[in-house]
Amino acid sequence: MEWVETTGRTVEEAKDAALDRLGVDERDAEFDVLEEARSGLFGRVRQEARVRARVRPDHPRPRVDRRERRRQGGESTPASAGNRPRAASSGRPGGGSGADSADAVDVAPRDDADDMLPAPSSEEQAEEARAFLDGLAAAFGLQGVSEVEIVDGDQIEARLVGDGLGLLIGPKGQTLAAVQDLTRAVVQRGPRRGGRMRVDVGGYQQRRREALVRFARQTAEQVKDSGVAVSMEPMPAYDRKVVHDTINDLAGVQSRSEGEEPRRQVLIMPDVPAD
Amino acid sequence: MGAVHVAGGAVSDSPAQAVDDDDDANQLPGATATDVLEYLVKALVDDEDAVEVDVDEDRRGLRMQVRVGAGDMGRVIGRRGRIANAIRTVVRAAAAPDGVAVDVDFVD
Repeated sequence: MEWVETTGRTVEEAKDAALDRLGVDERDAEFDVLEEARSGLFGRVRQEARVRARVRPDHPRPRVDRRERRRQGGESTPASAGNRPRAASSGRPGGGSGADSADAVDVAPRDDADDMLPAPSSEEQAEEARAFLDGLAAAFGLQGVSEVEIVDGDQIEARLVGDGLGLLIGPKGQTLAAVQDLTRAVVQRGPRRGGRMRVDVGGYQQRRREALVRFARQTAEQVKDSGVAVSMEPMPAYDRKVVHDTINDLAGVQSRSEGEEPRRQVLIMPDVPAD
Repeated sequence: MGAVHVAGGAVSDSPAQAVDDDDDANQLPGATATDVLEYLVKALVDDEDAVEVDVDEDRRGLRMQVRVGAGDMGRVIGRRGRIANAIRTVVRAAAAPDGVAVDVDFVD
């Protein structure tokens, strides 16, 4: 996985810039601080902070998928046979027993022995994502077939394709965003969430990405013509990466991100002549 | 109408309990949403057999109550309730064609 190197007035700024370039969340990246920032007289920056970062490589995650568990539970018994205690459901007090319900939410990762098993490969995870999306379409009574692809070595792209999938996209893609969260949660169950995964339904994300690239190009033209920088709407890390990548390929403009999540936005500005 | 009880696996082994008098569960409003909810929760937990989904109807619409095994609540709630909210969003989408409002509660 490639390292990117970025600078900023503070280490935090440099890290933010790196996350934009990578298009991932902080927890999916790892950093080396190459140089701390040093300030000169009157708070002027004498030396910018420099960091390098990369997407956290696919480390052995302390999780295990359901197939593995079942295999351990007993090879010969089919999945739901009663070799798992049902005490949890039958022995539960009728109403809400306050204390343990609150604890359950923030419960620390259980260190079962099977946590030591190697993480499933990207291929296995992709297959789980595919099966999950197919099952979801079926539960909705929709005709959809999903396909998966692994890009850049470890990024899983799962796409549900078919007609009449609008229900799974929702207004402004909200339902799709939820579907993506759920697919991730199902595939990356366990305390450490690793690899990157994108889910698309009915080509929605692809159309959106294409529109974003067009819009970034238009904005870049406008910035070049006017010589005035333009701020784009706040957008998530992945979208900012799309904009940065687009601007990077154009002459005469450059981009950087400003502000704090979730209102972080891309600024497109004219190139400053190098001095 | 009364409560529809759809426990994990109960539909096949105790039909009398599963649906009151309707002979086709798919005719019930919100049947798709219930299927979707059950599908999502079972996909998230370790202990599928402990998953129970209860559906009640009140004036505001359908109220679905989800129960999971002891160690699985964290999985269906997620950090800061993110997964629980994603489940609600998707289940509401599934109920949209039926024109029913759905509330999903996670109880234990």
